[in-house]
Amino acid sequence: MTTQFFPHNNIGYLCTDWQVERGLGAKTALKLIDKDENLFEFSFAQLTDLSNQAANLLSSLGYQKGDRIMLLLSKTVEIYAFFLGALKLGLVSSILFTSIGEDSIVERIKDTDTRAIISTSRMNFRLVKVLQKLDESFRVLLVDEDQSDGQFVGIREQFKRASAEFVTPETDPEQYSHFHFTSGSTGKPKAVQHCHASIIDHLRSFDEVMQVNSDELFWCTADPGWVTGTTYGITAPWALGLTQVQLDANYDPALWMRVIERYKVQILYTAPTVFRMMAQQADTFYQQYDLSSLKRVYTVGEPLDPNLVLWGRRIFHCEIYDTWFQTETGSIMVANYPGLEVRPGSMGKPLSYLEAAILESKDNPLPNNTQGLLCIRKPWNSMFREYVGNPVVYQNKFLGDFYSSGDIAYRDEDGYYWYIGRSDDVINTAGHLVSPFEIESAVMEVPHVLDCAVVGLPDDLLYEKVVAFVVHDEQSPSLRKLDMGIKLYVAKKVASLASPKEVVFTDKIPKTKSGKVMRRVLKKQYLGQDVGDLSTMEE
Amino acid sequence: MAQNDVVARMNNVFREVFDNPEIEIFDEMTASDVVGWDSFSHINLITSLEIEFDIEFTQQEAFGFKTVGELKSAIEAKVNS
Repeated sequence: MTTQFFPHNNIGYLCTDWQVERGLGAKTALKLIDKDENLFEFSFAQLTDLSNQAANLLSSLGYQKGDRIMLLLSKTVEIYAFFLGALKLGLVSSILFTSIGEDSIVERIKDTDTRAIISTSRMNFRLVKVLQKLDESFRVLLVDEDQSDGQFVGIREQFKRASAEFVTPETDPEQYSHFHFTSGSTGKPKAVQHCHASIIDHLRSFDEVMQVNSDELFWCTADPGWVTGTTYGITAPWALGLTQVQLDANYDPALWMRVIERYKVQILYTAPTVFRMMAQQADTFYQQYDLSSLKRVYTVGEPLDPNLVLWGRRIFHCEIYDTWFQTETGSIMVANYPGLEVRPGSMGKPLSYLEAAILESKDNPLPNNTQGLLCIRKPWNSMFREYVGNPVVYQNKFLGDFYSSGDIAYRDEDGYYWYIGRSDDVINTAGHLVSPFEIESAVMEVPHVLDCAVVGLPDDLLYEKVVAFVVHDEQSPSLRKLDMGIKLYVAKKVASLASPKEVVFTDKIPKTKSGKVMRRVLKKQYLGQDVGDLSTMEE
Repeated sequence: MAQNDVVARMNNVFREVFDNPEIEIFDEMTASDVVGWDSFSHINLITSLEIEFDIEFTQQEAFGFKTVGELKSAIEAKVNS
């Protein structure tokens, strides 16, 4: 691992004050576009002041180095101010998806001993229920309210009045900075912990893969609740002093094209699922827009089908580069990038400062063109430092000196890596990893459900769709209503993206003699394929 | 079916789908106005409305609505046809 130091060793400082110190104070850091297409611009000097105000406010409220907080905000300037301000103050923060369900919020808070959540009154309908399940010391800080009421604390005016002077303390590069949540095939989602040193790899990967010039406009469309949205939608571009676009609106192809055209976006980073949705529009739709500013388009989150690479080239008249990384890796590990011939469908090659391998076990590296576990030699700066409260699970992620991604891939004779699938039951839907266990737990709480099993199955749009196989009792209402009840309950308890796209009612869930769900059998039955050896199945 | 009745029933569906008892729909409302209205929950919304009004939308219709007003008009047309 490269031992490097950076100003104050603090990500928040590097993204703001440092840019001002090196003469970029007046440069636009953020072009923030709201749903009505109003543009709000913030310079690095303004971002510095706002994050300092956030740091001072959080300090005045009693939050100290090492305290954990969460942010439940849409893409408004407050999310950036408080994320960066928390980093400067030494807090450890996590950005949540705004569509997250109430139980998921509660579990995440309890599992990480989080002290407060920063949000807006728009989310009160959900947070009221969350607070009922938490300790009385927990606080909800509302950025759009002045008044306080019980555990809800209005901070709008205090934020405005807070001092814009803040001295970021020298930070230990290993000090914890931010965390995300990821799903495993068993158990609850785990908090993936990163530290301030991770910024070194955010920068190196951004430099090597994105190759954005200082006068180019960058747009990472990922939600900041996703590791991509934090690493490449906040930290990397600002630590390099770049201007980036953020859009606070749902996906709408016409709106996206208008943003690219109007602001002349040059580098776009998005997801293959978005590409698949875009590809549903006729080519003539794109001919309405001047997209000539685009120089490169990157994707991440799930495999990019070769046909989509070709579609993207035809529509955007530029190269399409797929990239691969995970919440645990913190930054891009394997990628296609300028200077490397793109082989459509390939993940590309490992970045120059990393060593990847295809392993069968810790002592058994596999030769070219042989499928195995995609692994990265440890350590690297943005590697996760722990699963919070799960040391055994953390250790199990390593095969000797290698981090094991859980993804199956192979390397060809030219060194390109090719993705095959997951080695476990985790479902990759629209680039989000979701746990079948978490969904099954929610489905089992729905009245009239006797048993269930959840699997990921191929989908033209989402890459994989969540499918729930359900056994119901004889008193259940119409199956259509039960179907909808299951979907809505999962959306409410877990998250909308975890809501089954399809519910299949069945008489029995195939299980092994020890009671383990045979997902392989369910998948093959659904796909009409041979189910293979059933000797271990219970009678 | 009276327009107010459609709006009231749609409002109930919105509240249930987005798990928010405070939602008050209006014609100009878009997905960006409702917390949690993403492409995933949109499918649940459309299916719930189909069940509530005993109607069916084509896939093209389901993903063509830009506002609640457009959705309401489509429901009224189907219910009254």
